[in-house]
Amino acid sequence: MLVEATPKPASITYADVNRDVVRSLVETGPRYYIALTSAFGLTLVCFFFPWFYQLFYGIGAAGMNHPAVWGTYLSNFIFWIGLSHSGTLLSCVLHLTRSSWRKAMYRSAEAMTLFSLMVAATMVMVHVGRPWFIHWALPYSNQMELWPNFRSPLLFDVMAIATYLTGSAIFIYMGSIPDFAAVRDRTSGWRRHLYVLLSLGWRGTDTEWHRLGWAYTFLAVLIIPLAVSVHSIVSWDFAMSIVPALHQTIFAPYFVVGAIYSGTAGIVTVMFILRKTMHFEQYITHVHFDNLGKLLLALSLIWSYINIVEVFTGWYSGSSAEQEALKYKLFGYYAPLYWEMILCCAVAPLLLISGRFRTSLVPMLVLSIAINIGMYTERFLIVGTSLSRQYLPDAWGLYVPSLVELSILLGSIAMFVTLFLVFVKIFPSVSIYEVKETLPTPAPKADTATKGAAP
Amino acid sequence: MTSVAIGLFSAPQSALSAAEKLNSAGFTTAELLSPIPLEGVEAALGEKPNTIKRFTLFGGLFGACFGFILAAGTAVLYLHPTGGRPIITLPPFFIIAYEMTILFGILATVLGFFISARLPALKERVYVPEVGVDKFALTVRCKNAPELSRVQTLMREAGAETVRTDEETS
Amino acid sequence: MNLIERFRQSWEKYSHPGYYDKFDYAWTMSIDLDRCTGCEACVVACQAENNLPIVGEKAMAQGREMKWIRIERYWEGEYPDIKLRFMPMLCQHCDAAPCETVCPVTATYHNQDGLNTQVYNRCIGTRACAVYCPYEVRYFNYNHHHWDAPLEQQLNPDVTVREKGVMEKCTFCIQRIRQAKDQAKDDGRRRVRDGEVQPACVQTCPSQALVFGDRNNPDSLVSQTLVLEHARSYRVLDELNTSPSVIYLKSVDDDVS
Repeated sequence: MLVEATPKPASITYADVNRDVVRSLVETGPRYYIALTSAFGLTLVCFFFPWFYQLFYGIGAAGMNHPAVWGTYLSNFIFWIGLSHSGTLLSCVLHLTRSSWRKAMYRSAEAMTLFSLMVAATMVMVHVGRPWFIHWALPYSNQMELWPNFRSPLLFDVMAIATYLTGSAIFIYMGSIPDFAAVRDRTSGWRRHLYVLLSLGWRGTDTEWHRLGWAYTFLAVLIIPLAVSVHSIVSWDFAMSIVPALHQTIFAPYFVVGAIYSGTAGIVTVMFILRKTMHFEQYITHVHFDNLGKLLLALSLIWSYINIVEVFTGWYSGSSAEQEALKYKLFGYYAPLYWEMILCCAVAPLLLISGRFRTSLVPMLVLSIAINIGMYTERFLIVGTSLSRQYLPDAWGLYVPSLVELSILLGSIAMFVTLFLVFVKIFPSVSIYEVKETLPTPAPKADTATKGAAP
Repeated sequence: MTSVAIGLFSAPQSALSAAEKLNSAGFTTAELLSPIPLEGVEAALGEKPNTIKRFTLFGGLFGACFGFILAAGTAVLYLHPTGGRPIITLPPFFIIAYEMTILFGILATVLGFFISARLPALKERVYVPEVGVDKFALTVRCKNAPELSRVQTLMREAGAETVRTDEETS
Repeated sequence: MNLIERFRQSWEKYSHPGYYDKFDYAWTMSIDLDRCTGCEACVVACQAENNLPIVGEKAMAQGREMKWIRIERYWEGEYPDIKLRFMPMLCQHCDAAPCETVCPVTATYHNQDGLNTQVYNRCIGTRACAVYCPYEVRYFNYNHHHWDAPLEQQLNPDVTVREKGVMEKCTFCIQRIRQAKDQAKDDGRRRVRDGEVQPACVQTCPSQALVFGDRNNPDSLVSQTLVLEHARSYRVLDELNTSPSVIYLKSVDDDVS
């Protein structure tokens, strides 16, 4: 982390942006190392050690049982994929609508996407019973003459997430090429070598900018339908079953809206922390929080509407299994969790109607964390309550997560934080050239006729 | 060894007008280096063809075919009836084709970008470090000394702060 | 032209469902609920025949039972007019099985005898099939199982022992079916005779509530039973259109109140 920043002049110049971003990369204080070590340590202790225990002992280490065969590992998976949705998707949409307030924060938001996807992929490995054979889900020619089952919703998942991971990584890299070039000039040592490689010899010529602009726009146009399809496909893992509470057509829009919702709340959290710790107060301003708050309000209203539709259609259907599942969800064993979810995700965000709330940073942080807690509860309820009440009453059961599962949830958050901490010291976490685009262009100076002297 | 004349400008407008002057004076290989993408470059230096879109289109089409053939072909080659569905089922295979369309569209766009922007740079080319911060630069490759001095004069007339020369191995 | 013709024929053949109309043997089981006494002898027989693990008291308390056939009990009415109904529930071997479509590695598929097979070696344990099964007849190996001595001497050598992380379910004792078919082939290409193959549960049922056979053969006992008892026959969760191969015969109540 930084030492105390020098007081800045009222307007920022281009040189200031370069200097601030390079400083955020290069200067690391003891607080950063403490944060990195503790995040990494938590990952090892809370994620990897319980996972290895589970590998030896079997999935029995988790709390799943006969009717409830899916548990928090899968709700973690959906949560992390959901969190990944807003970064890249929002960045692409705002790029195509040419909005200017995206410029300072989209790099970190896209990084959030990438790391959430990586954590989600590890969640799949924790979830399956025999993870040493998980490569069989990938299409590759082999001596067994077997291919994966492309009719399976889980396989659409594999294809979609592989594409999204590749697409997000490429997108964030392409957008960063000019920034790598800018920071390569002011760093030395291993950093310089790294940035020389990563910037590919970018010089900033008009041809290069033109090509980059078109490539970036095409990538944005391709990634928007991809992101919508990814979470729809994840929802179809559930919606294509015939379990009463899961077999609903509203699931695809429900999941996509929920993903953008929880992801945007995640962006608010990350922006707050980044602003505080990297001293980016000039770049991530109240305008950003205001706009993110408006977006969160809109998404919260849509999310509430979808929940009302789900409850209404379940009740209206008259199907006994469906109504039993709905009654169980609202008033059964897990009812406190359901109402906590409604409080955090439907009621509390109504505070965002007030403009003063939207621009006060600490309340926004608290609300964004509350929204994510509520959204995690939603994913848990989808997995846990639906499987506890299916068609045959004799086979009803109860699912309670075990300590191993809760530890792995904590560990996955620590893994995400570790990856993000490494990111902020390697990638410029605020996009230099896009921030410069928002600043006023330098005015022409008076003619100085120096002859051929190198500066 | 070609000499390259470099003119540094503080403001994008002066750089653009200088570029236009140089272009109309016959120096069509002028390059405008900038820290941000500029509007109006195509007006000054001429239209640039958009070659990347062809890459994206072909990548997408290839991806669609590849996705469908992968799913349907492997299902037919290794027959495993599941769930009373036909062996070649259209809804799931359409989804696979859709994802592969986007994947190969993305990869082809990246390939198109690398090819048309000539990155990664394998040859040593003239670089102006100030461009990474806040200056706009015009570089013109000149074949001989009179041309070089003419270019430098034009640049100074257009408002260049600094004018210098650099060597480039062609 | 040859390639295009082949492609067109391939498309014609494979883009329509229809292979399941032409099963070699269409193994079917009928369960007479009037005769079922809920004694659970079928459960024990299945456990003995198929090397089912004994999960232990702790796992049972956690709800991790391991039974390929279970007797469901439903109480009806209040004391003293109370009734207890038993329903043996095993894998229904649905022709339109929801579990088969979702396995990402094709560890479960429909074979040429109309059976829903589970390939233990291919299963990676995603447990999606258990979620998709509406009858909840699929069971997962949550732990490594151990047979205390001398119980391991009772294991059936014709049936594999599953490792942890693998899904399993009723197979209609496919090892017995395979043995019967092999025997029939050795005897000179005859068909398997009715009654020659019986799963362990059918063989053991003391009240002969379970009848097993080939419904493609109109002379088999199960076909005749289904014709005779047509008025009582039904399929569980028929409205879900899974086309199960297990037909239940309703029990008829004496008192009409």
